[in-house]
Amino acid sequence: MYIIIAGCSKVGASLVNRLSEEGNDVVVIDRDEENFSQLGSGSNCMSITGVPIDEDILKEAGIEKADALAAVTTDDNTNFMVAQIAQQLYHVPKVITQTKDPEKQLVLTAMGLQTICPTTLTVESFFNSLKKGENEK
Amino acid sequence: MRIMIIGGGNVGYYLTKSLSAEKHHIMIVEKDSSRCEQISSDLSSKRIELTHGDGTDVECLREAGIFHTDVLIAVTGHDQNNLAACQLAKDYFGVKQTISRVKNPKNIRVFEKLGVDSVISSTERIAGIIDRELDWADVNKLLKERSFNVRLQEITVEQGSNFERKRLKDLGLPKGLILIAVLRGDQAIIPNGETRLETGDLVILWGDASDMANTLEQHANS
Repeated sequence: MYIIIAGCSKVGASLVNRLSEEGNDVVVIDRDEENFSQLGSGSNCMSITGVPIDEDILKEAGIEKADALAAVTTDDNTNFMVAQIAQQLYHVPKVITQTKDPEKQLVLTAMGLQTICPTTLTVESFFNSLKKGENEK
Repeated sequence: MRIMIIGGGNVGYYLTKSLSAEKHHIMIVEKDSSRCEQISSDLSSKRIELTHGDGTDVECLREAGIFHTDVLIAVTGHDQNNLAACQLAKDYFGVKQTISRVKNPKNIRVFEKLGVDSVISSTERIAGIIDRELDWADVNKLLKERSFNVRLQEITVEQGSNFERKRLKDLGLPKGLILIAVLRGDQAIIPNGETRLETGDLVILWGDASDMANTLEQHANS
């Protein structure tokens, strides 16, 4: 698969490392070149320094032929914008975006974007672990 | 109309000021608390509602009165925030009209395709004006190259100039020269003999090259 990762955050970098280990063609975009140091030495992905909400940068990253895009920058609205450009303007088959705000997750999902919210996921795992401990008592 | 403005920077501030003077009801949302204090003390006489918060946050938009908004105008300094505000307003809250500013002119197309009703880029506006200026120079170059003895020129009516507050018929322009347009503020006036020039007007002259040179010289020395 040809996959674009917008944002070389901790999540982004780990995602890139795993996906390229599996043999996918991965392109990662980040405005700060220093963030690419988080990429594994074995990872042979392509990295592009630039703002991911710039259409020229997305084209350079190969958005026209991408099979999937994940928007995982640290800025929710940047993710939202990148995801929409990918989904609605370039018809990338699979687009996933990230937001920190659980309420916004509901809104974005209602707008037709597959959205992952780390806050919701973390709360859920804490909640489940706590419950599990309680049940074992 | 009930207008919500997202972003209380310079653009948002002056927009609020001029729109509230036109009897619109203005709701303004600004993220920065010290900026909020400044706006509320400067515009305390106006009927505006100020909300301190993130205009791309669902709860904040609700609190600011998004359910009673006819038009949302997003003028923060970040394109991605302006887009998010417009889309939440339109697609989630059902606001009828959205207007956004973009910093990157390339985003005009993106915003329009993603459903923002009007997209404004000051960069593009200025670039457009400069483009027209270049066309102007090209016209004169063409006229000169083809040895036509005519020129197109613009003159600004400065304070104290011999054009100031004069009617066209009293300017004493040479016969070979006509004044084809007066640009005043955002108005383009097609003048006649009775049109009176004001300070700051930009006038466009067309005519014989030597008459043009004499007129420009006289004007410059006035």
